[in-house]
Amino acid sequence: MNLSARMIIVLTSVGLISGSFLTGVDLLTRSRIEANRQREIKDAITRVVPGTETSNIVYEEKSFTIYEGKDKSGQRAGFALYTSGTGFQDKITLMIGTDESFSTLNRLFILEQKETPGLGAKITEWDEFLRFWENRDCSQSLSLRNPPADSPDDLSYSEVNTITGATISSEAVLDIVNFSIEKAKTLHKEGKI
Amino acid sequence: MATKSISAEFTKGFWDENPVFRQLLGMCPTLAVTTAVINGIAMGLATSFVLIFSSLVVSSIKKIIPSQVRIASYIVIIATFVTMADRFLAAFFPPISKNLGPYVPLIVVNCIILGRQEAFSSKNSIGRSLIDALGMSCGFILALLLLSSIRELLGSGGILGHQILGSWFKPWIIMILPAGAFLTLGLLLGLALFIESKTKPGR
Repeated sequence: MNLSARMIIVLTSVGLISGSFLTGVDLLTRSRIEANRQREIKDAITRVVPGTETSNIVYEEKSFTIYEGKDKSGQRAGFALYTSGTGFQDKITLMIGTDESFSTLNRLFILEQKETPGLGAKITEWDEFLRFWENRDCSQSLSLRNPPADSPDDLSYSEVNTITGATISSEAVLDIVNFSIEKAKTLHKEGKI
Repeated sequence: MATKSISAEFTKGFWDENPVFRQLLGMCPTLAVTTAVINGIAMGLATSFVLIFSSLVVSSIKKIIPSQVRIASYIVIIATFVTMADRFLAAFFPPISKNLGPYVPLIVVNCIILGRQEAFSSKNSIGRSLIDALGMSCGFILALLLLSSIRELLGSGGILGHQILGSWFKPWIIMILPAGAFLTLGLLLGLALFIESKTKPGR
């Protein structure tokens, strides 16, 4: 057999065999990977919309999803906004919990981030950051308190705290939240939710 | 090369030809994922899986691959095992998969793996290739363990999430940042060379 034919046959067979193996691996793992993602999102919704038992998607587009949280009796408990934006290092993905009219922010939860460890990465910590985001009035845009307050009680209802040494990460989260809530309000007005 | 005893073939990866400290291969994962011991272990195991199985496949089909397309064939074989490892981690260990991020798919371009296929598996028997891959894997895991233990201990004050240093210790954040990776690796490489020069005079 001449060399060219041998090269083509060998490379093609290697590719075909590898491809079929990977198809098998994909079939075996796909449902599990999807289930992991769903469970992560469900946990986040339960965290940010208190009292949620079940949830369903009411609006969806690329990297922006609105979930409706329902309590035990099937009543609407609030909305959860799954959204993302640019942080200091990389994309930050978060879940925002609001009431039915998008005017009160219940809680915030960070799903994914790659901010600087020890500084920007504090956005995932309850004590350092997230507790200052509980029960905020988001009927207007939220603003940052800098220098930061020691306790959430020292902040006005439309203010959230900055992390010392990580102003950019704090601002990034604030921008994502303000933008997403504004977007949800517009969709609500247009009757799409 | 075939004159080496089986045990020497296995243990060479630990020190004499340690992929990280002696051959300076696989620096990208070595520096990037050693922020915590658990990440180091996961990366070491994933790389070992790919290295061992690629070596087995390459050494068993080495005779039918024309040398002109050998690198392309090796890469396809390696990429297959890497994708398997990546999907497996995402399905069964989602938090670790998230921590390692793009560095699992990047095992494809880890020079330890292609390097061993080219330098060893394509010239040696299946058995010897397996022993070589096992030894190199152990050497790589040891190096990652050492690096990640130092970085996690100094950068977070503990190992595997268990606090070891007391509350008096203020974590050195720099150790979990990229700069800490370079500092630690540089010092360890210096130490390795120092030990080498002391134990084997004349080199």
